[in-house]
Amino acid sequence: MKDTRRSRAVLGILLITALAMITIDYRGGDNSPLRGLRGVGATVFGPIEHVAASVVRPVGNFVEAIADAPGQRSRGDRLERENQKLRAQLQSGQLDKGRSAQLQQLLGTAGLGGYKIVAAEVISAGQGFEDTVTIDVGSSSGVKADMTVITGDGLVGRVTRVGPSSATVLLVTDAAATVGARLEASQEIGVVQGKGRRGLGSGTSTPLRFQLLDANAPMKVGERLVTLGSQGDRPYVPGVPIGSVVKIEQTPGSLTRTAYVKPFVHFTSLDVVGVVVAPPKTDPHDAVLPPVPSLMPGS
Amino acid sequence: MSLLTTENTTQSGRNVLAALVTVGALILQVAVFNRLPLPGQVTPDLVLLTVVALALLNGEMVGAVTGFCAGLAADIIPPADHTIGRYALVYCLIGYASGLLSDSMDRSSTVPFVAVAAGALFGTLLYAAVGMLLGDPRATGAVIARIVPVQVLYDVLASPFVIWVVMRLTRRAERAKSPRRRDLAVPGYRSRARERAL
Repeated sequence: MKDTRRSRAVLGILLITALAMITIDYRGGDNSPLRGLRGVGATVFGPIEHVAASVVRPVGNFVEAIADAPGQRSRGDRLERENQKLRAQLQSGQLDKGRSAQLQQLLGTAGLGGYKIVAAEVISAGQGFEDTVTIDVGSSSGVKADMTVITGDGLVGRVTRVGPSSATVLLVTDAAATVGARLEASQEIGVVQGKGRRGLGSGTSTPLRFQLLDANAPMKVGERLVTLGSQGDRPYVPGVPIGSVVKIEQTPGSLTRTAYVKPFVHFTSLDVVGVVVAPPKTDPHDAVLPPVPSLMPGS
Repeated sequence: MSLLTTENTTQSGRNVLAALVTVGALILQVAVFNRLPLPGQVTPDLVLLTVVALALLNGEMVGAVTGFCAGLAADIIPPADHTIGRYALVYCLIGYASGLLSDSMDRSSTVPFVAVAAGALFGTLLYAAVGMLLGDPRATGAVIARIVPVQVLYDVLASPFVIWVVMRLTRRAERAKSPRRRDLAVPGYRSRARERAL
């Protein structure tokens, strides 16, 4: 092999380049000198993803319906599956109608909370260990970094990076996401943490954990959580429903109490979302939560 | 393997093709596959499969360069949210290693599967290891332990399709570029022809 030496040299150069980039980007953090590269990525790939998403959306809905089917055995699951099939049929038949319903719900939620939103659609999702999605609105629609993203059901995440016509959203389920939260009735506060790729890291099916700061405060299964609101309403506006407590972990002697939280939003089928471009004038408290407590679906 | 002078005309065409195939795989990955709710919450890594396929067809040099470029693109395509260079490093190594196997493609038909399985295994582990070194909160042991087996399985299952597509595109492009290349006895071509028979 004549060019073994040459290809080895090329490999060496490329590996050193990659390591150098990792170092520079890691050291730089948010002000990394390489963030221009991400800008290039958003500018170049954003519009392509846009087109790709609109082409594959009907196909995706169909495959989703099929992929959901296996592995659901018990009667309840079978019924749910039938339900899903029907819903998928409805969706593929009346795609736009479904989307408009989602939009209606989103608008209703936004109206209840007094949030001003920009509607968007999810066009791609992250790879590896990341729980991130791209949405089809960007700086040209007034979207900026650190804005809250919601659906009609509740909190989705926050905007981390903005391109001209697309933006990256860090989902609350991501292991790098942390949200200040409040129990609906008792007003007790704590922190909601993502458990990585759709709950893979937690060992259970709930992708969120809630840490109550006061270990002695009352907390019940079924209680619901809303966002506490960040300082200056960024990145999280107050009053957005997050999820409900499904299990409370009893660890005697610890300073905080941990609960497993089932989110209101279905993260595997995210489609229409809203970016909160203007926070409410006053904290909506529990006004955005649905009036009747939900009956703990799926458990 | 020394390049014939007549191949130089197809060389640039082949590079363009490799770039197009890689970008296509990347778009398909983020816009379609990553959104599929597959069991185990893991999706096959099309970019890795494309890099392995291109490397197996074209050797270690092309493998390393394609891997690096594909990885860099995967690092900056929205919604990527990790340190730039992580996938570039991983895919570059995998491309090079798969390219080393390109000569044995003639001997055994299991080579692509071995390359894909090894690539998926070591790729995921290396990517996670770099993440751990950098203090990435997502790269925890529990997540890795659950992702790796499923990832390897999915990648191996998806590999015949991706490799078939890549090989088909390469062959078609070469035929279109120089129709007489069919008659040339180029060693690489023979291996591709045999692959077609599989």
